[in-house]
Amino acid sequence: MRATEPSEKTVRYAAAFFDNEHDLMAIAAEARLRGFEIQDVFTPYPIHGMDRAVGLKRSRLGWIAFVAGALGLISAILLQVWTSAYDWPLNVGGKPFNSFPLFVPVMFELTVLFSGLISIGVLFMMNRLWIMSKKKIFEGVTDDRFILVLKQEDASFDTEKAARLFKKYNAIKVMEGDKFV
Amino acid sequence: MAAVFRDIETVREEEIRLQSEIDRITAHPVYSPLREPLIDESKACSDVTNDISGLLERPASKGWWILFGLSFSLLIAGIVAAINTVYFGIGTWGLNKTVGWAFGITNFVFWIGIGHAGTFISAILYLFGQKWRTSINRSAEAMTLIAVMCAGIFPILHMGRPWLFYWIMPYPNTRGSLWVNFRSPLLWDFFAISTYFTISLVFWYLGLVPDLATARDRATNKARKIFYTVLSLGWNGSNRTWSRYETVYGVLAALATPLVLSVHSIVSFDFATSLVPGWHSTIFPPYFVAGAVFSGFAMVTTLLIPVRKVMHLEGYITVQHLDNMCKITLLTGSIVGLSYLTELFIGFYSGNPNEIFVILNRMGGPYAWAYWIMFSCNAFIPQLFWFKAFRTRIPLILSLCILVNVGMWFERFVIIVTSLHRDYLPSSWAIFIPTLTDVGLLVGSFGLFFTAFLIFLRLFPVISMNEVKGVLHYARD
Amino acid sequence: MSPNAASKAGVAEGQVVRLSKAGVSIEIPVLIQPGQSDDCVAVALGYGRTKAGRVASGVGANAYPFVEFVDGTFRYEAEDVSIEPTSTFVELAKTQVHQSAEGRPLIMEYSLAEFVSGHLHEESEKQVDLWKPHDFPEHKWGMVVDLNACVGCNACVLSCQAENNIPVVGKDEVRRRREMHWMRIDRYYDEKPDGVTTRFQPMTCAQCDNASCETVCPVLATVHSSEGLNMQVYNRCVGTRYCANNCPFKVRRFNWFLYPHEDAVANLALNPDVTVRTRGVMEKCTFCVQRIEEGKIHARNEGRPIKDGEIKTACQQSCPANAITFGDLKDPESSVSKLRHTKRNYVLLEELNLRQGLTYLGKVRNDGETVGGEPKNGSSL
Repeated sequence: MRATEPSEKTVRYAAAFFDNEHDLMAIAAEARLRGFEIQDVFTPYPIHGMDRAVGLKRSRLGWIAFVAGALGLISAILLQVWTSAYDWPLNVGGKPFNSFPLFVPVMFELTVLFSGLISIGVLFMMNRLWIMSKKKIFEGVTDDRFILVLKQEDASFDTEKAARLFKKYNAIKVMEGDKFV
Repeated sequence: MAAVFRDIETVREEEIRLQSEIDRITAHPVYSPLREPLIDESKACSDVTNDISGLLERPASKGWWILFGLSFSLLIAGIVAAINTVYFGIGTWGLNKTVGWAFGITNFVFWIGIGHAGTFISAILYLFGQKWRTSINRSAEAMTLIAVMCAGIFPILHMGRPWLFYWIMPYPNTRGSLWVNFRSPLLWDFFAISTYFTISLVFWYLGLVPDLATARDRATNKARKIFYTVLSLGWNGSNRTWSRYETVYGVLAALATPLVLSVHSIVSFDFATSLVPGWHSTIFPPYFVAGAVFSGFAMVTTLLIPVRKVMHLEGYITVQHLDNMCKITLLTGSIVGLSYLTELFIGFYSGNPNEIFVILNRMGGPYAWAYWIMFSCNAFIPQLFWFKAFRTRIPLILSLCILVNVGMWFERFVIIVTSLHRDYLPSSWAIFIPTLTDVGLLVGSFGLFFTAFLIFLRLFPVISMNEVKGVLHYARD
Repeated sequence: MSPNAASKAGVAEGQVVRLSKAGVSIEIPVLIQPGQSDDCVAVALGYGRTKAGRVASGVGANAYPFVEFVDGTFRYEAEDVSIEPTSTFVELAKTQVHQSAEGRPLIMEYSLAEFVSGHLHEESEKQVDLWKPHDFPEHKWGMVVDLNACVGCNACVLSCQAENNIPVVGKDEVRRRREMHWMRIDRYYDEKPDGVTTRFQPMTCAQCDNASCETVCPVLATVHSSEGLNMQVYNRCVGTRYCANNCPFKVRRFNWFLYPHEDAVANLALNPDVTVRTRGVMEKCTFCVQRIEEGKIHARNEGRPIKDGEIKTACQQSCPANAITFGDLKDPESSVSKLRHTKRNYVLLEELNLRQGLTYLGKVRNDGETVGGEPKNGSSL
C-alpha cells in the first residue's frame, strides 16, 4: 500500500519551518523555479495558490464525483423501474407500473448519495487517510507552522543553495531526516 | 570581459524574471478596504488553536453541567414517552380516525427544518464565498446532524409498528420478493432524510478532520490521544491532501446545496402530493425550504448566543455574525410571509370551496389561535430585523429568534392539523387534543437536541480552527 | 331534547339533568337533537341495568320507573316531568360531532319535479386519461347505495361489525373519535325555517380505482386487486396512517391499541373467515372479500359463471330496505351495472377523479308538491 503513494517513499529530505503562509508560498515557488524537487508542503490550513506554487496539477476528483453520481442515477432508475414494473408489478392507485415521474426524487437522492460517498471514499484512499495511518506529522503543523519539505536524494541537490534559500525567507527551524514516512 | 558582463546581465535578468514569476504565483487577492475583519482582535494562528482546543481540554464548567442536567432530564421525559408509545401503541397519542398525524409529524418537519440552516451555512455560503461562515459553520453543521437525528426519530415512532420500520427499505426478501412503493412521498422522505444525514455527516466530518488532528497533537492524556488519533486518520496537513480535500469539500458543498433544497421539498411533497385541502398546494416546496432556512437560522442564533457568551467566543462569533444571520432570517422570513399571503390569495382565487373553507377555518376555526401565533411570529416579528437595533442587541435577537422558533413549530402544526381535522366530509370532522405522551415526546426531542449539542461542545472543536486560521488576515493586511 | 327546549331549560349538551315525576327521578345527560319536538324529551329505555355482565351493567340510568301500566297497556309517555339542570357535565360518546354538511353537495336530493323532468345533476365530464388505465380481466366489483331506499337504521353497520370481527372499543375511545366501524351512516341536518330535514348516507370504503390511499403507502400495504378491490395487507402494514389522512371519505380505521382477541370463549363469536388485526395496522371495508372468494369457489366447483346477486356483502344482506346492491361491473347485465346507468346515480366527490366502486342513487324527496307544478326552492343542492 505504501508503495502506491510516490510522495511517501523512503527519501532523504530537508524541512524548513516558517511562521506564515506568505513566506512559505514564496519559498515554495522559488525553490521549484530554482530546480529543487519539492516533496510536499505542510500547512495548518489550505492556502490558495499553493498548488500553483508547488506545481501541483488540478485534482481529478471532480470527475470521479461526476461518474459516481451518474452511477447513482443509473442504479436508482434500474432499481425503481425493475422493482415496480418488472419484478412484481402492482396496481397502486391506478398509476402505471412504470410511474417514471414519481421516481425522480429517489433518482436525485441516490445520485447525490453515491457521488458524495464515493468521492469522499476516494479522497480518503488517495490520501491514505485511515485510522491506522502512520504518517510523518511535523510538530506544530496543526497549530501555526508552515513547512516546506525538499527532496534531498537527488544528486543535484545543493545543500548550500538550499540553506541560503531557507535563510532568505526567515526559516524558524530547519531539519533534515533520512526517512520520509 | 564583455562575455562575463553579459553573463552577469543574463543572470540578473534571469533573477528579475524569476522574482516576477514568484510574485505572480504568490499574489493574493485584494480585498476591498471597506470590508471589516471577520475575527475581532488581532489573533494569530496559535491563539486560535489555544482558544478553541483549550475549551476541550479544560474540565466542563459548572454552567455546562447545569445545562446538561436540564437537557438530560427533558430527554428522560422523552424516553419515558417513547417507551409508553412503543409499549402501549399509538393510542397513547391524541390522534383519532380523522387526524392521523399531529405532533409526531409536526416535530419531524420542525426538526428537519432546523437542520437546514447548518447545511445552508456550510454549503451554500461556501459556494457563494461568504468567508464569515467559518466561525459558525462547525456548530451549525453539528446542529444539522443533531436536528436530523431528532427528526428521524419521529417517522419511526409514529408508525403503528415501529419495530418494522426497516420494511420501507428496498431489500431483497423472502416475501416474493416484495419491494417498496417508490410512488409514496414517505419513501422519498426515507431516501431524502437518510441521504441528507449521510452527506451532512461526511461533510461535517471532513471539515473536522484537520481540527481533530490539532486536538490529537495537543492531547496529553492517553484516552484523548487515542480518541483523536483514531478520528483524525493520520492527518498531517500535506498540501497534496489539502488540495484534494478542498476539491472534495467543494464537491460536497455543490452536492449538499441542491440536496438541502430537495430535502424540504420532498418533505413538503408529503403534503403537496396528497389530496387533502390545505395540503394539496404547489407552493409548498419553495415555501417549506424558505421556512426551513428561516427556522434553522433562528435556531442557530438561539444556540450560538449562549454558547459564545459561556465559552467566551465573542472574538470569533462577533456581533457582525449575528447581524448577518438576522439578515438571512429577515429575508427568509419575508419569503415565508409572502408565501402565507400567496396561499391565501390562491386559495380564494382558485374558487375551490374546499380550499376557501380551509383558509377560513384556519383563521377562525378551533385552531385559530395557532394560526395567529404562526402568522405573527413568522410574518410580522422578523420584520423587526429591518432595524439595526434589533440585529445588534443580543437580548432582542435572542427573544425574536425564540419567537420565530415557536412560530415555525406552529406553522407545521397548523398545516398538518387544521387541514386534516376538517376535510371533505363534515361527518368525520374531529378535534385533536394532545396527550401527555405527545407533549413528552416534543419536550424530549428538545432534550435530545440540547443534550447532544452540549456533548458536541465538549468533544469537538466548536469552531472550525483550520478555516478560521485561513481568514485571520481577511481585510487586515 | 330539541335545541329550543334545551335553551329554554338552560341546559347544554352533555349536562346532566334530573328528570323527576312523583317520587321517581333519574339523572341523565342531555343530547340535543334537532327535529325533536320542543315540548317533549325522549329517554332511551334499557339502560341502568344491574345484572347484565361486564359490558352492560351500570351503564346509564333506568327509565322504566316512568313507565306506567294503565288500562292493561304500558304507557311509554309520562306527562308533567320536571327537568332540573345539575352542575355535572359528561362528554357524550358520539361517532359524529359535526352535524351540518356546510352546504356541500354530498348527499344528493331532488324534488319530485326535478326527478320527473330528468334534469338531476350535471352530467359527468368525459374522463380523460394521461395513461392507459389498468385492466380488470374477470370481474370489477361495484356497489350502489340507493338513498331513496335507505332508512338509516344502522343494520349494515352492525352486520359489518359482526362479519368482519371489528373490535368494540368502548365509550372512552369513541369519545376520542376512534370507533372502529368500517361502515357508518353520515347524517346531516338541514335546518330550515319550517323545520329540520335530515340527510343520511351509508359510507364505507369506496374501493377507488385511482385510490389516493394506495399511492402514498411506502410499503405497498394497500394495493389494487385485479378485480377492482382496494386491498389492505395487514401483515405488510407498518402503520404510517398516511393512507387514512389521504382518504377523502375517512373510512380507514387504525388499531390504536392491541384490542383483545385472546379470550378463548369470546373468540367463538368471531367469524373464522376473517382474520383479526393486530395493533398498529390499518383496516377498512374489503367489500367482504371473503364472501366474494366463497362465491367464486362455489361457482367454480359447479363449473358455471357467477350469477348476478349470488354474492352478497354483509351490509347488503342485512339491509331491510334493499338499498345496497352489489355485483360485477364487468357484466353489463348485472343489476349494479344497470343502476349505475340510471339518472339518479352520482359519484361522491367526483371532482377528485377517484373512480370509486361505490356510487349512490340520489334521493327524491316529495315535499307535497304536485308533479308538473312549480318546484319549491331550496330542496335540492
